[in-house]
Amino acid sequence: MLVEYIAGNFHGIIPLGDIVFYLTDFSLIAFIIAMLFTAIVYVTKPEKQLEAQVHEFGDKFNYVTVEELKIRRFMSIVCGIATAFSMLTGDLFDFALFLAVIGITNIGIVSAVKKEWVLNAAFHYGIIAIISSLPLFGAAALILGKTGTLSIFELAKNGHELFYQKLLYAVGMIGETGVAPFYAAKAEMFRAPGAPYILMIHLSSLLVIVRTVEILLTIS
Amino acid sequence: MDYVSLLFSRTVTVGLIVGIISLYSISRQKTDLNMILLTDLVEYGMLVIIAAIGSDLAEALILPGLVVGMAELLAVAEIFVSRNDLRKQGQKKKSKLLEEFTVKEIPDMDINFSKMEVLYTAPKFFAFVLVVYGAILSGFTGGAVMASGLLFYVLAKRVLGQKILPEDLKVSWEGISAFSGIAWAVWILGFIGFFLFPSKWPYFLIIAGFGLAIKVGSKLGLIGELFE
Repeated sequence: MLVEYIAGNFHGIIPLGDIVFYLTDFSLIAFIIAMLFTAIVYVTKPEKQLEAQVHEFGDKFNYVTVEELKIRRFMSIVCGIATAFSMLTGDLFDFALFLAVIGITNIGIVSAVKKEWVLNAAFHYGIIAIISSLPLFGAAALILGKTGTLSIFELAKNGHELFYQKLLYAVGMIGETGVAPFYAAKAEMFRAPGAPYILMIHLSSLLVIVRTVEILLTIS
Repeated sequence: MDYVSLLFSRTVTVGLIVGIISLYSISRQKTDLNMILLTDLVEYGMLVIIAAIGSDLAEALILPGLVVGMAELLAVAEIFVSRNDLRKQGQKKKSKLLEEFTVKEIPDMDINFSKMEVLYTAPKFFAFVLVVYGAILSGFTGGAVMASGLLFYVLAKRVLGQKILPEDLKVSWEGISAFSGIAWAVWILGFIGFFLFPSKWPYFLIIAGFGLAIKVGSKLGLIGELFE
């Protein structure tokens, strides 16, 4: 079947009370990737940046203070860990909470740069993230109201008609984490000093989007 | 359709409507501060939808949702403040956030409060109502209500600028404390009555409750006199 094809082989559950983590091929691989990149972020040294000037000769050196970089590294490590565990979780509401944490850390990574245009983009991303918590958590709550459970493991067993709820959930996911690379690009974060840490935004949003697709195909 | 699911669908609809109206008003906003405040409204819509389920699991879900929303709101507000700081750095005049709400100078107020008729008549009436109501309640609660009535009366007198003379204060202090002592004795009497005459418990219950109410009321009333 298609669904099983996406998730891969089922390896078992990790019983932690009500929150059931479960392992499939997909979630294990994604978990390992996220943890690997978190480790890479932890050991990476930030780049020093030179900025070319438009109307004069010579380059301008962009100096970033150590505190700023420490905050950004901390935020990207938290983001990586949250991404890794959102790959494993088997609870819809838990997944939504992980998404919200990733969103907050993305805001933190972007907003550590003390430039006005960067902060502007971070501000707008924050507004979008807050707004999209309504469809995200609301969809989780509606699924709970309709089926009586939040466990993906249980929801996969019996078929419910959950089309609109899933649609709402996807919209919430897009607003909370999916649009983060767009706002990072809007802020020209690749040009902003201290660039390597923001790659965590892209990794987390990529993994989260794929994982959401997998969840929405699994619960049906 | 039964009552519960009707209520559920209505509540979800209300939450979604709150969100949509807030989105519309966000789109009409010019200032960023108003945008932050209105996004908070969208979050309340989210809480309404979660609360619509009404089970104990929903109760457990509201708290994380609220915490996450608060965290995001704090982050966005912090970004807003620091961005405004960056924006203002080039200019000479530095202004803080919400400056227009802070008082810069003492306004020239020429209002004589003590000429208002209501300040003379209302405190007595309120104090009387509270004392009577406290006496009806009896017990600790009644005492607290009575004492709040007395406190209110004393504070209202102070607002009017009517000083209580030290002689009066001494007399009333001793009077109230003696009254409190007698009430305490009444309370103990009622309490002993429970053990000596268990069959007549309603009378002793009333005696003990009355004594306790008077005692607590007068004691807290003394605190009100102390503030004076």
